[in-house]
Amino acid sequence: MKDGIANNSTASISQARKAVEQLKMEACMDRIKVSKAAADLMAYCDAHIREDPLIMPVPASENPFREKKFFCTIL
Amino acid sequence: MLASASPLIPEMATQEVQLNETLAHLKTESETLKSKLEEERAKLHDVELHQVAEKVEGLGQFVMKTRRTLKGHGNKVLCMDWCKDKRRIVSSSQDGKVIVWDAFTTNKEHAVTMPCTWVMACAYAPSGCAVACGGLDNKCSVYPLSLDKNENLAAKKKSVAMHTNYLSACSFTNSDMQILTSSGDGTCALWDVESGQLLQSFHGHAADVLCLDLAPSETGNTFVSGGCDKKANVWDMRSGQCIQSFETHESDINSVRYYPSGDAFASGSDDATCRLYDLRADREVAIYSKESIIFGVSSVDFSLSGRLLFGGYNDYTINVWDVLKGTRVSILFGHENRVSTLRVSPDGTAFCTGSWDHTLRIWA
Repeated sequence: MKDGIANNSTASISQARKAVEQLKMEACMDRIKVSKAAADLMAYCDAHIREDPLIMPVPASENPFREKKFFCTIL
Repeated sequence: MLASASPLIPEMATQEVQLNETLAHLKTESETLKSKLEEERAKLHDVELHQVAEKVEGLGQFVMKTRRTLKGHGNKVLCMDWCKDKRRIVSSSQDGKVIVWDAFTTNKEHAVTMPCTWVMACAYAPSGCAVACGGLDNKCSVYPLSLDKNENLAAKKKSVAMHTNYLSACSFTNSDMQILTSSGDGTCALWDVESGQLLQSFHGHAADVLCLDLAPSETGNTFVSGGCDKKANVWDMRSGQCIQSFETHESDINSVRYYPSGDAFASGSDDATCRLYDLRADREVAIYSKESIIFGVSSVDFSLSGRLLFGGYNDYTINVWDVLKGTRVSILFGHENRVSTLRVSPDGTAFCTGSWDHTLRIWA
């Protein structure tokens, strides 16, 4: 009975210690400003938007899903 | 004798008091560190993404509709994945069936019946030569795909992962040799396919892990997971360490997906919102929500450029969001029950949804 109590507490303590270590590690991270992060996200979109077939549709003949052709399998 | 939980012997009493004090100490330290973390994050919060994006050109009208409907599952479709060849799809269902389709022709190429129901996870191998799946069997199994349509796929099945609760998601890494899994047992794990050996396990979620996504290969060996503890965690695959954690959702996180540059990821939750988290700013930078949207998001994915975020919802619809401006650009109807899974094709020409209405739809 007494071991049970000690074990429960030591398990909780070990868990709490891990949580503290984890937080200390996360605190050390080098962060950038949201303005810089936002600018980078926008730059990526801008660089790739012309190749995005769902935004700049390619001619129907080049998108196999938009093509009106029907596919048949030769049995 | 009365049974009592409190120790009667003095030394035990002191020991218990000491342990409780240490615990209280650690909890306080934890709270203090959390506050400091929030302070540090807040210092860099100089602007909102949608404000910076005001100068970006708006998107035009969208004409996206169902181009193919894949019928054949006998029950709810739970998961799907694209093959790298941009035309094949694997899907899995509540009735235990896993089907491989040619999405161009809608033909079924392979079908396997799993020994369990609720196959919640399936994935295509990068080579296109195998699929992985699992669910209530607590395992992830790999089936090599045979060119011989008559061959019994189940005969070559290989059991790779073993969890102590249901398998919620699986993904091959950049080769057929390793699989990453997430489970209702609260952990994620990395496995060697050939030997079935556990290579690394990832502990840190406080409840079921529901989803995962691997970072685009250029950005290194990390992945993100989301769970019922409302947290999204970013992990180092080599060390098993959780390197970043985000807790802003108000309910289970059902889906996580990296932004194509690898610098951010989106999440979809039962709280009816999708959110965008930037990894270098270490914070949430956008929420995609509307008062009229009250049903949970089951699944999210980005278009090729990252400008659009598609969300599959429990109210049977797909909402399409402008990632930068934070506004909804389109709402798509068609499914007759919950949308449970959604993935954009590898070349971005279409996206596929799976639903509890037993069908899959290809949209473009």
